[in-house]
Amino acid sequence: MVIDLDEVSKVYRGRVHALRGISMKVHKGEVFGLLGPNGAGKSTLVKVLTTVVRPTSCRGTMLGQPVGTKWVLGRVGYLPEHHKFPEYLTGAQVLDYYGALSGVRRRERRRRAEGLLRQVGISAWQKKKVKGYSKGMRQRLGIAQALMNDPDLVMLDEPTDGVDPVGRRDIRNMMVELREQGRTVFINSHLLSELEMICDRVAIIVKGVVAMQGTIQDLTDYGRRYEIEVELPQEGAGGTKGLQTLLRASGVRALGAGSTNDAMIGVETLAAPVLGLPVGANAVRGQLATGEAVVVSGSTIRIGTDDPAPIQPVIDAVRRAGLSIRAVKQMRPSLEDLFMRAVVDPETGQEFTPGAEVGRAKGKPGAQPTMGGRP
Amino acid sequence: MKLLAILHDQYRALAAGKIFWVVLVLSGLVVAAFGAVGINKTGLTVLWWEFDAIFNTSLLTPATFYKLVFVNVGIKFWLAWIASILALISTASIIPEFISSGAIELTLSKPISRVKLYFTKFLAGLLFVTLQVGVFTTAAFLVIGVRGGTWEPGLFWAVPYTVLFFSYLFSMCALLGLLTRSSLAALLLTFLFWFVLFGVNATEQSLHYFKTGYALQVEKVESWVEAAEQKVQGPGQSEEAIERSKKELATKQTQLERYRAKAGGMGRWHGYFHGVKSVMPKSSETIELLQRTLVSEADLEPLAASGNDGQGGFFSRGEVPVSEREIQKRLAASIASRSFGWIVGTSLVFEAVVLGIGALVFRRRDF
Repeated sequence: MVIDLDEVSKVYRGRVHALRGISMKVHKGEVFGLLGPNGAGKSTLVKVLTTVVRPTSCRGTMLGQPVGTKWVLGRVGYLPEHHKFPEYLTGAQVLDYYGALSGVRRRERRRRAEGLLRQVGISAWQKKKVKGYSKGMRQRLGIAQALMNDPDLVMLDEPTDGVDPVGRRDIRNMMVELREQGRTVFINSHLLSELEMICDRVAIIVKGVVAMQGTIQDLTDYGRRYEIEVELPQEGAGGTKGLQTLLRASGVRALGAGSTNDAMIGVETLAAPVLGLPVGANAVRGQLATGEAVVVSGSTIRIGTDDPAPIQPVIDAVRRAGLSIRAVKQMRPSLEDLFMRAVVDPETGQEFTPGAEVGRAKGKPGAQPTMGGRP
Repeated sequence: MKLLAILHDQYRALAAGKIFWVVLVLSGLVVAAFGAVGINKTGLTVLWWEFDAIFNTSLLTPATFYKLVFVNVGIKFWLAWIASILALISTASIIPEFISSGAIELTLSKPISRVKLYFTKFLAGLLFVTLQVGVFTTAAFLVIGVRGGTWEPGLFWAVPYTVLFFSYLFSMCALLGLLTRSSLAALLLTFLFWFVLFGVNATEQSLHYFKTGYALQVEKVESWVEAAEQKVQGPGQSEEAIERSKKELATKQTQLERYRAKAGGMGRWHGYFHGVKSVMPKSSETIELLQRTLVSEADLEPLAASGNDGQGGFFSRGEVPVSEREIQKRLAASIASRSFGWIVGTSLVFEAVVLGIGALVFRRRDF
């Protein structure tokens, strides 16, 4: 285990609860993504792990040693968000300086700096002062800096921030390369689609606690569904009502009611997810006789299952009614869907207010059970 | 290796700033001006011009003259005032920039202890003055050697003394930079601190002067009282003469009480300020140590003898006149008796406390 944290907390000035008992595991050789809304505590957690912030309490290990020991820091490469290199240094001097601070010997520094500058694609700029670098070039230099000490664990805070699409692809490829070299990569990013492409596992932090944690595969399994898009004879509420009547006739029951009364599929304004299905305003929800959740929204019927058998009666009912089926799609939620689900308060259906909890430490409103296989 | 890397980086930072080179060029001009001035039998020379002056080689040897110019103009005026102000302007941003968001994370995530980092950054701040005073002193050493005909390695004491002087200020500047995170606030508050040091020192020196003057007046009145007592006890005097002497003795004794009270009051006030000064850095006296090291009393004897007749000054008139020369002599002896340990030792204790507070704050702070 490269990172094994248990109950890491940070309280600023006795009342701002930035971290409220983070427990997290990062395995060797994986790309791990840390997600969360603004003010969730992601950067604070990364800063605790790199000793920039002192934790209020911290149980756990990094690379098998207590968090923050010099040995551990010597084996970690870190690229902070909004990093600022001395403007009077050249790219090569930046790598040499931070390499020296990491305890890398001079000859080795020179050798590594050349290789890394080539690797991140700015070797032509190595003798130019950093003040002339673009945002993307600074970011590339930052990544090279994080690799100067040949680390076992690379922690990157928003590594593709300000980088153009080509650069982002290069950086993604570099992450994959690092993983192939057996290093562990820990990324804190807002770019969910990018994380989805390269992360093996993710954790979503909300209000200072881990709301979800697991492999992307396991986490997205939870929201797998079928979507049936139907060609309605008339658009709008009338068409939707027809679809509701149709489904009722095919045995769909009101969610939770379990009865067959006529008022069963009522129009409800819902924001909270139904068993992992996205539910918009003015959506209609119900339940198949076999227990699967159903949400009807406009001309789309969503059924919460990845098993094709339960959806067959619904397709039959649609066909019997003479409606055309435009598409039947097997869907799985994106990382963004997961993220959005994590940042919504299940009690109120509203998004959590951004920022850390202020005042006395309450329960863990953002906490949801750890999902998926390995914790 | 890590600490050397930080010092090397700081050198690059200083060299990248214009102010470093501006000060170096100005230092060069000061040394050039210094080399242009000379002394001969009739007075002073500037390049090929000669001027009649009270200073000439019959009062001061060329070596002593150059050493005095070096200490009083080169060090006390240029390095300990103008160049120090420029050095503070140049270095006040070291800690605020070091702890600025985006920069501090890069450094703190490296395997170096925070306390070591803070002390190294402090030392790096002294680099500016060390380099400036080093170059200046070397140039002055060559000028004195060539123009004054004496090779005086003692001049290089200017390096540790000036760096020591600057370190008192920079330790406070570093702490203020850490607390305020602002270069400008750190700079202005350091100037305020320097002004307070200057004020305490000036007040203590003034009170010392008055204390010494009153002490000499007391001694003088005491001698009068002693003479009056002898007169009273003197044999073979008439009743009338004895009565007159007794009256005179009573008058002198009253006068003595009055002057003792004055001297005591002044002594008390001086004691308070001396006490305050004891726990604060003694910036002026640290620089004065250089003159003490380079120029002996004997070197200055002819100059002192040719000075005023001791009639000027606060105490030279009134009912108990005291020679100004006498006061200055007593004052100089008193100041010279202040030990190196008191001047530098107590200053370093203050600096150590300020640095310790800074290191503690830096060690415990979240960035």
